[in-house]
Amino acid sequence: MMTYIVFILSVIFVVSFVGFSSKPSPIYGGLVLIVSGGVGCGIIMNFGGSFLGLMVFLIYLGGMLVVFGYTTAMATEQYPEVWVSNTTVMGVFLLGLLMEVMLVLYVLKSEEVGVVFKFSGVGDWAIYDIGDSGVFSEEIMGVAALYSYGAWVVIVTGWSLFVGVLVILEVTRGD
Amino acid sequence: MNPLIFTTILMTVLLGTMIVMMSSHWLMIWIGFEMNLLAIIPILMKKYNPRTMEASTKYFLTQATASMLLMMAIIINLMHSGQWTITKVFNPTASIIMTSALAMKLGLTPFHFWVPEVTQGISLTSGLILLTWQKLAPMSILYQISPSINLNILLTMAVLSILVGGWGGLNQTQLRKIMAYSSIAHMGWMTAVLAYNPTLTMLNMLIYIMMTLTMFMLFIHSSSTTTLSLSHTWNKTPLTTTLILITLLSMGGLPPLSGFMPKWMIIQELTKNNSIILPTLMAIMALLNLYFYMRLTYSTSLTMFPSTNNMKMKWQFETKRITFLPPLIVMSSLLLPLTPMLSILD
Repeated sequence: MMTYIVFILSVIFVVSFVGFSSKPSPIYGGLVLIVSGGVGCGIIMNFGGSFLGLMVFLIYLGGMLVVFGYTTAMATEQYPEVWVSNTTVMGVFLLGLLMEVMLVLYVLKSEEVGVVFKFSGVGDWAIYDIGDSGVFSEEIMGVAALYSYGAWVVIVTGWSLFVGVLVILEVTRGD
Repeated sequence: MNPLIFTTILMTVLLGTMIVMMSSHWLMIWIGFEMNLLAIIPILMKKYNPRTMEASTKYFLTQATASMLLMMAIIINLMHSGQWTITKVFNPTASIIMTSALAMKLGLTPFHFWVPEVTQGISLTSGLILLTWQKLAPMSILYQISPSINLNILLTMAVLSILVGGWGGLNQTQLRKIMAYSSIAHMGWMTAVLAYNPTLTMLNMLIYIMMTLTMFMLFIHSSSTTTLSLSHTWNKTPLTTTLILITLLSMGGLPPLSGFMPKWMIIQELTKNNSIILPTLMAIMALLNLYFYMRLTYSTSLTMFPSTNNMKMKWQFETKRITFLPPLIVMSSLLLPLTPMLSILD
């Protein structure tokens, strides 16, 4: 099972994305966002990226999602919508689940069926080896490269985040 | 809006397009598109009424979907070629998805439905930025991947866009919707020649931007958003009626004016490649465009449109100062004799 752990985790990842994309109340969206964040962390860790996985937990779940949870708790309504309370939400959730089940079957039975592009078996989702040279870890080197060769990326993403905050404040300011 | 914040956000729109046009890594291009989209939303929403908010939401949703499709095409390209640099996209699936994504960003048929609604809901200046500057980034990516675009899809979208742009604009009296349909048709002309000679796409883009800038500035100058209020310009500033006439006929592609140059070059390039029916159809459908431009000129410049008596004696308020309007008008009408200079574009 450990060779297919990434595949299983990716299925849980997609299902939790479907869970919040079907738009229940934000509190329940935040709940599945926690699950998807944790599962995503698991996927990254299985490829050897322990630092990045821990960063997902600390910064994403422990920082941003906590703030999101508090603001949603302040703005919540008396009867928040669950997945089963509204026909539309449940319909979208079931549709997403169905599409994911079809995709999983398509990946697993890829020898017989080919639609637009063929998956070569489970492919990259099966872990046989981490893939680093064993002397230094690949993903720490990646983080280090971001701040040395990739300085322009840091500037651009930092500016985008800053402008994102400006834009959100400007849009919600009203007149 | 606070002037400092407004300047920052406007500069970010410019920075986003610059990043898209100058990057060699697909991820940076995607980041540039997202930065552009994020920063233009408050510009579209400068006035806080429900119409602008609805228009900005529609724009955001369609452009975000297009960015998602673009990201999917980038990842499929990565899966099959193993590298992130901008070259032609080797995998046909990725190429088709990328073409659809960029067509959604440009407003080509069948993804054109957002253009009239968004352009109508926002102010004239925001509409100007939307229809000119926002077309630069997707067009530059189309230029760079042009050797690998599926010709059938591209030509279908181009011809349908010219048709929809002409036909859809026939029933309009609101000036912003007319400009939106004109934009759809011009994008169709630009993408039709993309696979044959991408330089002409850039030429058409340049002249289209000049003409659209001129038209919008003339509209802003007379503060008119409907055909009816445009028809009162003979009373406000009689000179602009002549300028509106010349610029509109140039947009329609009439010969001695510069709007004829891209159409002429495109038809010539298409016939050099042995397709005769296609440019004939395109030229015939451009007549639909010409019809509603001529209707505008008829009500504005060629006749004194019927109005109530107190409209005929308007008080002259202080005129707005529009930057660069005279050079723009000259460039959008008199550039045709410079056509031999096109050889420098190679």
